Amino acid sequence: MGLKIDVLTCTACMACELACGYHRDDAFALLSSCIMPYRAKEKKNYVGLILKEEDSLVAARPEGLEINRIGEEQDPGKEADASAKPMLLREACDLCEDVDDGPLCIKFCPVNAISME
Amino acid sequence: MEYLASNKIAIIDLATRDIIEEELEDDLVLEKIGGVGITKSLYDRFADENPIVLGTGLLTGSLVPGSALSVITAKSPSTGRVSHVPLTLDAGMELKYSGFDYMVIKGAADKPVYLWVHDGIADLNDAEDLWGKDVWAATDRIRDLMGDDLIQVLGIGEAGEKGSDLAQISINYWQSGDRMGFGSLFGKKRLKLIAIRGMGLLEIAEPEEFVEHCAGLLSALKSGKTSGMKGIATMAAAMGEADIEGWLKPLTHKHMACFNTPVPTNTFVFLDEDPALLKETSVAEPGFLLTDISPLLTLKRLGLTAADTCRILKACAKYGMDGAAVAELSEKTGLKDPEAIKGSLPNLKGPVSSSGNAVFSPWAAVGNQEPKTWMRREAVAYIFGLHPIFALMAPELTEEKLLEISSLGTELELTSETLDEVIADITG
Repeated sequence: MGLKIDVLTCTACMACELACGYHRDDAFALLSSCIMPYRAKEKKNYVGLILKEEDSLVAARPEGLEINRIGEEQDPGKEADASAKPMLLREACDLCEDVDDGPLCIKFCPVNAISME
Repeated sequence: MEYLASNKIAIIDLATRDIIEEELEDDLVLEKIGGVGITKSLYDRFADENPIVLGTGLLTGSLVPGSALSVITAKSPSTGRVSHVPLTLDAGMELKYSGFDYMVIKGAADKPVYLWVHDGIADLNDAEDLWGKDVWAATDRIRDLMGDDLIQVLGIGEAGEKGSDLAQISINYWQSGDRMGFGSLFGKKRLKLIAIRGMGLLEIAEPEEFVEHCAGLLSALKSGKTSGMKGIATMAAAMGEADIEGWLKPLTHKHMACFNTPVPTNTFVFLDEDPALLKETSVAEPGFLLTDISPLLTLKRLGLTAADTCRILKACAKYGMDGAAVAELSEKTGLKDPEAIKGSLPNLKGPVSSSGNAVFSPWAAVGNQEPKTWMRREAVAYIFGLHPIFALMAPELTEEKLLEISSLGTELELTSETLDEVIADITG
């Protein structure tokens, strides 16, 4: 069981990122979230969602899902993604195990772009 | 101020380069609540020094739906009135997490400078290599310099540097809700841009109750009339201009939201790339983010194509000029040739009616609302830090609910009487 992301529906509002940060810190902050919209290519409007799971870093890109196993060697011909580094240092998604009605990122996504699979 | 705040006000003197920090006192919040209530108070305090005041709303950057807004308060060169313009997209949120709740920028620098705000630190730096660059090039340069593409940039282009009353303070590459000519204030102060990065943390007085109330609000909104609304054409449809959606559709790449705003009120169009492309384009600058409905309506009325209209607005954004003013003046002079309109930017002068006749930017417009209702709703949005367009669309965000959530978040007793007093003070 894990999170399912519909990145074509996502509007990059960051509500999931803030909700996840609240789950970690009991405060509003963005630095500890394990899910975040990918916003670094603003002029190209290339937007996705990055999720850190226990064993993998999931990049939900508009053209499809990319799952990178943490610790495995990456394709040396592939350009490194700067946003991957801070994500790797964060705690993995625990599906908000202490929250009665499920993950907060699902609860706070205004466009239902995140669900359980 | 312990909760929902960084507890810091910066007073920045561009002439001396002195930066003084003050605490955000609870008493000021109890009296003025936040956002424009406090920016106006700070403006009045430093009025003799022609200040520009930036401020965050009480709920900006929180899980309250629509909490995207920060505000700039200054005297408008266009209208001569002390006015307020919205900072949306991700810039309002970024300011909230930068370590400062409010910033007063006074005086003028003797040579170009930029302000770098991050981690509770505000620094003034030389900007001579940025001066003369258009908005897009300056944004690229500062992000390259800092090595961070998520820095939010409030900057000016050539229009502001030359002191045009039609100049805007842009947000990153895009047009903002600055219809008041605040870009020229930056230019006259030789302030090229403010770069903001927010990595702070906001404590909440009653976190569980606060977040439950936010979830309840979002749940109500998701079953309300804004559910499923998306894109800039949403506002046009409410104004009886429903056909603009079909006009833009062949160019539409994706509808984009401002921070934690349920309705994505912005639309990204591709002008030099296939709008249906899913993967990352190899084109460096494929299109433009539409953030303001007014110039679209005006230029469409002139008979321009959607592509020509968007290219004109892209040129306005790079030059740092208010697209609504450009569209209005083009309509007045009968200018319809896209190249001629773009060529007219350096010599364009007002007066224009696009600044409106209120203290709030008329950028936020949805349908034809009664002015008194519009003013009250904008005041509420600018005090609490709500997206000013979304606030007009979402009656679920009642004043009572916002006061209740604010009290839960701050542990301060904020009343409807105080809200009435603050609104009366702002709207005069």
